[in-house]
Amino acid sequence: MTETGPTEQPDARHAADARLLTRIAAGDRAAFAELYDRFSRPLYATALRILNDASEAQDIVHDAFVALWEKAATFETTRGTAFSWALTLTRNRAIDRLRSRRRRAELLESSAPSDLGLDENSSGPSADDSAATSDQATAVRAAVATLPADQQRALELAFFGGLTQEEIAARLRTPLGTVKARIRRGLLKLRDQLAGSL
Amino acid sequence: MNAERHEELAALAALDLLTSAEQVEFASAVAAHPELQALVVSLRSTSAELAHTAPSAEPPAALKSRVLATIAALPAPVAQPSTLNAQPRAGGGTLIQFPTWLALAAAACFALVAAYFGQAYQTERATAATLRDQQSLADLALRSTQNQLEAERLIARRELADATAKAAESTRLVATLESRLNEATRASADTSRLLASTREQIDSARRDLAARDQRVTDLTRQLAAQGTLADYKIATLASLLGNSPQSLAVAVWNPANQEGVLTVQKLPALAADKDYQLWIVDPQYSNPVNGGVFRVDPTTGETRVNFRADQPIKTLARFAVSLERKGGAPKAEGTMVLLSPASP
Repeated sequence: MTETGPTEQPDARHAADARLLTRIAAGDRAAFAELYDRFSRPLYATALRILNDASEAQDIVHDAFVALWEKAATFETTRGTAFSWALTLTRNRAIDRLRSRRRRAELLESSAPSDLGLDENSSGPSADDSAATSDQATAVRAAVATLPADQQRALELAFFGGLTQEEIAARLRTPLGTVKARIRRGLLKLRDQLAGSL
Repeated sequence: MNAERHEELAALAALDLLTSAEQVEFASAVAAHPELQALVVSLRSTSAELAHTAPSAEPPAALKSRVLATIAALPAPVAQPSTLNAQPRAGGGTLIQFPTWLALAAAACFALVAAYFGQAYQTERATAATLRDQQSLADLALRSTQNQLEAERLIARRELADATAKAAESTRLVATLESRLNEATRASADTSRLLASTREQIDSARRDLAARDQRVTDLTRQLAAQGTLADYKIATLASLLGNSPQSLAVAVWNPANQEGVLTVQKLPALAADKDYQLWIVDPQYSNPVNGGVFRVDPTTGETRVNFRADQPIKTLARFAVSLERKGGAPKAEGTMVLLSPASP
C-alpha cells in the first residue's frame, strides 16, 4: 500500500495485493516478501500508534505477517481488501496486547492529541514526513481533515484506542448514542471522500 | 430497523465495536438484508485506511529479516495438490527404452488418469468448500443463537434485578408510609388529648374568670357599700310619751338609695284602728315627708322595718314617729311619740 507507486490506482493496487496473497497461499515466499514491503509500514505505524512501544509493535507486526502466511488460503476478496484483512490481523493483536496491559489508561493519557495524526494541526503530513509518506497517506489524511473534529476524535479512539463503545463515550463525556452516530457519519463520509481521492 | 441503524451497525462492525447484543442484532439484519455485508466490507476497507493517519514510522530492517526467517521455517500455507510432471526426466541412461507407441499409450493413459484424478480433486475440493461454508454458516448460526440466548439471559436477569429492586423499593415505601401513618395517628391522638386538655383548661379558666369577675363585682359592691356607709345618717329617736319613757328607736338612712331601716323597742301596743307613722323632716318641704306606717309586737313593743320616703330627701333634719289612724295620714295629725335630735 504505502510502498506502491503514486500512479497505481486503488482498484489495481487491491487487485495486485490479492494476487500476491493468492501466490502466498500457494507457498510463494517471494510474493510474501513483496507483500511485506507493501504492507509493513502502515501496519507497523498502526501497531506503534496503538501500543506506543516500538518493541511490542515489532512483535505484533511479526505475528501478524506469520498469521498472514498461515491463513493466506482463507482470504476471500469478497470479504474485503487484502490490506484491510492484514490490518485487521495487526490491529486485533495490538488491541489485545493493549487490553492485556494494566497500564492502558496511563498510556492513553500520555498520548498527546498532536501525536494522533487526526487533530486539526495534522491534516497533512509534516515537512519531515512528506518525503517519506506516500500520496495515499496524504490523501487519507486530507480526507480525514474534512471530517468535523468530533467525528475525527470518535474515529480516532475507535480505531487506535482499543476502547469499547461505552469507554469511548465515557472518555468523550458524550452520550453513547451520539458516539455511535459520530462513528457512523464519520466513516460514511470518509468512505465517500476516499472514493473521490484515492 | 431503519437504514440508519443498519449503517450504524455496519460502521461499528467495521471497527469491531459491536456489543454481544448488537452482534446478534446485526447477524439478523444481515440475514434479512445481505447487502449489508457489502456495506461492512466497504466500511472495513475504509476504516483500514485510517492506518495511514498514524504518525509515519519505518519498521526496522531487522524486522523483515526476522519475519522472513520465521516464514522460512514454516511449511507452505496449504498443501498444494501434487502436480504430475509430464516431462521425461533428463539423462537416465539406465532407463528401459519403450517403443514409441507404447510411450504414447502410456502418456494417454496417464493423461486419462490425471484427468480423472483432477476432476475428482476439483469435485472433492468443491465439496469440501461447500461443507466448510455450511459449517461456517452453522457456526455463525450457533454463535448467533448463543449470543441471542446470552443477550436474552442478560436482559431477563437485568429485568429480574430491576423488578426485585422495584419490589424492594415499594416494600420500603409501604413500610415508610405505614410508619408515617402510625406516627400521624399517634400525633393526632396526642393532639386530640392536648385539645381536650386545653379545652378543659379554657373552661376552668373561664370558670375562674367568672368567679373572679363575681368576686370583683362583690368587692366593687362592698367598696361601693363601704363608700356610702360614711354617708349614712343614724339617728336615735327618743320617747315623747310620759307613760312610756323607755320607748326608743334607731333610724339609719342611706341618702344614696333614699331608704332606711327603723328599729323600735318598747313602744306601747297599738289599738286596732291605729298605726305608728314615721316622718322625715327636710327643710326644703314645709311638712315632714311620710316614711310609712308600722306596727309593733304587742308583747315586746319591738319591730324592724325598712322604709322609703314619699319624696326625695335632700337634707335630713330629723326623724319623728307619730300615732296616727289606721293606714296613716298625709301629714302628721296625731300625737308625736318619738323624735330624733335635729341634724342627725
